[in-house]
Amino acid sequence: MERAISELLREALGNNCDIAIEGLAPIPGGFSRETFSCTALVTQGDAKEVLPLIIRKDPPEEVCILQTSRANEHELIESLRAHTSVPVSRSYGYELDPDVFGSAAMVLQRADGNGKTSQLFNDGADVDQAEEVMRHLCEVLVELHQADIAVIDPRGILQDPRGVGIRTSSWDDYMDSTFQYYLSTYDQIVYDPSSIILLDAYLTLRRRKPRPLRLSVVHGDFNPANFLYKNGKVSALIDWENSRIGDPREDLGWMTTMDILSNTHVMDYPKKEGGFISYYNKLTGWDVTKEEVDYFTLFGSANIGVPVQSAIYRRIAGEHRQFMHLYLIQSSAPAIPSMAQLLGYPGSNSSETTGASS
Amino acid sequence: MNTTPSIDDLLEGLIFALSDEILPYLTNEKSQATAVMMQSVIQEIRQMLPVFDICIAEEHNQMTKVLRDVASLVGSINGDAATRISERGATLGAVADVPVPEKKDVAGAHRALGFALQETLRDLDELQRKGFTIADDALDAVRSYLYPSFVRYANTVSVEGGMVGRG
Repeated sequence: MERAISELLREALGNNCDIAIEGLAPIPGGFSRETFSCTALVTQGDAKEVLPLIIRKDPPEEVCILQTSRANEHELIESLRAHTSVPVSRSYGYELDPDVFGSAAMVLQRADGNGKTSQLFNDGADVDQAEEVMRHLCEVLVELHQADIAVIDPRGILQDPRGVGIRTSSWDDYMDSTFQYYLSTYDQIVYDPSSIILLDAYLTLRRRKPRPLRLSVVHGDFNPANFLYKNGKVSALIDWENSRIGDPREDLGWMTTMDILSNTHVMDYPKKEGGFISYYNKLTGWDVTKEEVDYFTLFGSANIGVPVQSAIYRRIAGEHRQFMHLYLIQSSAPAIPSMAQLLGYPGSNSSETTGASS
Repeated sequence: MNTTPSIDDLLEGLIFALSDEILPYLTNEKSQATAVMMQSVIQEIRQMLPVFDICIAEEHNQMTKVLRDVASLVGSINGDAATRISERGATLGAVADVPVPEKKDVAGAHRALGFALQETLRDLDELQRKGFTIADDALDAVRSYLYPSFVRYANTVSVEGGMVGRG
């Protein structure tokens, strides 16, 4: 793999440089890609440069949780770098030919900063930075959501990146086609009847659509594990593979879910502004309500739920035997009663607080 | 409660994970041996689980009978040892039999009922969209069953500490 990395870097940096790769090793980098870390020593004439790198590689297709394109991810990251101040790591390039890296892969700058964001919460080592980091995280998200879609995605690669028939000509069209996608795939991903909560969510959300909001570029996996921080600022928002055109409230809803599952407290910050949603509303003027966040917490869970359930289904059907997919069943269990509460299940004591019941 | 994957599926998954994702990366022989021992113990648990409740119930009932039978055989002997045996026969030997669980495919029946509820939800949605408000009450009836079962499932399987491997 060292040779493949060197050649990809040479294409990005210029053919007249010498490149040595050191310290290549796998790292735990999320659940969807095989992630490696290494350092490139680049010599160009008398100039020497050390480039910390991340390699994101597609796992085998049957294991893959999200079937996404490294080419699209590269294009989006470079577009964000060119047109916004959203902190993202430079993408040096991608290789789709599986003969080169063993599967499709991309090479990115390894961002400076701490990725162990759990240290910002629960008496962690960096809890004193939480207020400023979360303030910046909210500002970064707002900039992303307010960015001009035509500028960030001129070729329309984010309109239907999963290729499942999503239409983005209007908010209603987006929502209706997304529900069509959820419901049409449900029967292919239900490995146990306990998944009935997802079906209930799809059907209920379809019956109870909230007010429209302008569509945006959404991160698509905005969660406590997908940013790095340093000196009270977000140094990088990472893992853009599920980014797409969608409702900006989806990112707020998904962060709410993952905050619960990750035992973190992103949504409580910045406390001086009354929490994440309050500050988001102050910056955007969109007046996103708690009921809308609840709605999109379910909607976002449904969106990630489809590919995750599908991958677990393939594991149980014996198409592969990777352990992580069994662990996902356990680790996502706390989300099920939370979803039921948001749907206003009798006995869950929160039916009056959600816009999605019945 | 989930019936798929089964407890046996999860244990088998651990054995596979040790083979595929742990053992190839262990570099000392002591660790490798421990991993193989873990596989062996997990396999033991897989073999014990389906029969454990049946075996201990059957053996419980057999042991009480043995205590009674032995007491009956030595009951005419004088002496401390025979007295102690008689006392055991009269106390522990007199404990009532426990029911032996039947080998029934309850999980299979549970699964079929779960899917029946799922199809009921689809039909209720159709009725709700046609304006039958009574379907809202019917949906609440389904949800009233589901919520406590979801809570029990989550409480039973969850382990504190957040998602491993993420930030």
